[in-house]
Amino acid sequence: MTISGEFLAFISLALVAVIGGVLLLNLTKVVHMVVGLVFTFIAIAGIYILLSAEFLAVVQILIYSGAITIIMLFGIMLTRHNDEESDSKGGGWKKVLLFLGVLAFGAAFYIGIYNLDFGTEPAALHEKNTEQLGVALYSDFVIPFELMSVLLLVALVGAIVLSRNDGEKEGDKE
Amino acid sequence: MIQDLLHSSPGLSNFVIFFLLATVFLFVILGFVTYAILAERKVLGFMQGRYGPNQVGGRWGLLQTVADVLKLLLKEDLIPKAADRPLFILAPVVAFAPAFMVVAAIPFTDRLQFADIGVGLLYYIAVSGMTTVGILVGAWASNNKYSLLGGMRAAAQMISYEIPLVMSVLGIALLAGSINLNEIVEAQEKGWFILWQPIAFIVFFIAAVAELNRVPFDLAEAENELVAGFHTEYSGFRWAMFMLAEYVYMFAMCALITVLFLGGWLPLPFLGFIPGAVWFALKFSLVVFILIWFRATFPRIRADQLMEFAWKVLLPVALANIFLTALLKEFLNIF
Repeated sequence: MTISGEFLAFISLALVAVIGGVLLLNLTKVVHMVVGLVFTFIAIAGIYILLSAEFLAVVQILIYSGAITIIMLFGIMLTRHNDEESDSKGGGWKKVLLFLGVLAFGAAFYIGIYNLDFGTEPAALHEKNTEQLGVALYSDFVIPFELMSVLLLVALVGAIVLSRNDGEKEGDKE
Repeated sequence: MIQDLLHSSPGLSNFVIFFLLATVFLFVILGFVTYAILAERKVLGFMQGRYGPNQVGGRWGLLQTVADVLKLLLKEDLIPKAADRPLFILAPVVAFAPAFMVVAAIPFTDRLQFADIGVGLLYYIAVSGMTTVGILVGAWASNNKYSLLGGMRAAAQMISYEIPLVMSVLGIALLAGSINLNEIVEAQEKGWFILWQPIAFIVFFIAAVAELNRVPFDLAEAENELVAGFHTEYSGFRWAMFMLAEYVYMFAMCALITVLFLGGWLPLPFLGFIPGAVWFALKFSLVVFILIWFRATFPRIRADQLMEFAWKVLLPVALANIFLTALLKEFLNIF
């Protein structure tokens, strides 16, 4: 394998993503974990750019690194903000099982990915990326797209119902 | 020039060239920030019937900000004992880095631009949202109730006003048929979008002022309620980073308004002999002046009014604007 600029960029982005994930698992304070997660999200957006999916990359930053992280931070801060996780010590059997699980996961992924064939890649993916996405979304995938919007609407209505439920007295006053 | 460089094969010399260009650009922006602060203080002074800075650097106080920055950099680096040390150090960086990243995507003239990104408009909005994380993390790491309140207010305000900001811009994306900033400017040759999209302009401008956390939407740093808001515990160069981020965003937002609504580098009719860079600078300065004018004129809005205004006024108006634009585009075929 030759070392090209793309390869270097991929390696550094992948490292950031993996380190962010490991930090998320190993840090003890919840806010630190979320910051680790932000780095993973940004690195994944960078990998999307390498795959010439710039629209997806920008949306990834907008939704995941921006919105979802802030919602998580709000959730953490509005509840208890200075609790630390204490390490629970598992027995020897747990560690063995964990190691077997990791091995099985690795093997499954290796077998799954090794002979994966996506077919030939269309050459002009990077040209007018947004337009191509839009055309595909509103011609081939209209029904899934509309179903998604119904799902989001249900979630929205559900959130409103949940948040109004415990304040019925105030609701009656208005 | 940048385009050729971007397409050439990567190497050490290219890295050095990019690094130098970015450094030069950083210094240009620092120069802007220095004189934007001075201009703000001067204009505010004149509007309030006083002189403003007039001691350091001649009668116009031209070196006042330089002296201030020097003082900030020489200050002792304080980190409160109860603060969350790693996050306290990381937060100003996270807040500032996106501010500098968004400026790279803005086209100043048809040649002078760092990155011609296909999704330039969305890139600006997405990356600028990252600063909210920096502010929130900094506020939390300070371990101070005023900081936390200010940070919460800033985050709530910035994510609420991001929605009308994006919605108002959709009308422009419809008319220009693109979200590439260069193509948006080129689509304005028939008339600037401030003429075709006046409603979008008003909504965008209000939302932009709120995004910048400036008066009348400066609840996040309301001095009389919160001491100084999210950066209460910060001092010295870490505080300077937050301030720098704020003013770089002001630079970026004014440039974005110029590009989206005022035709970027395009000249007025019959005045095409003046170069595009000068036109851009003129329009840009006008927008900066209006922002400073706002600050001198408006009182601060109340917290409940702030949220109601975003969700019950700006958002419906922006949605109606999209609908109207789509109808006009489809039935009248102006564009």
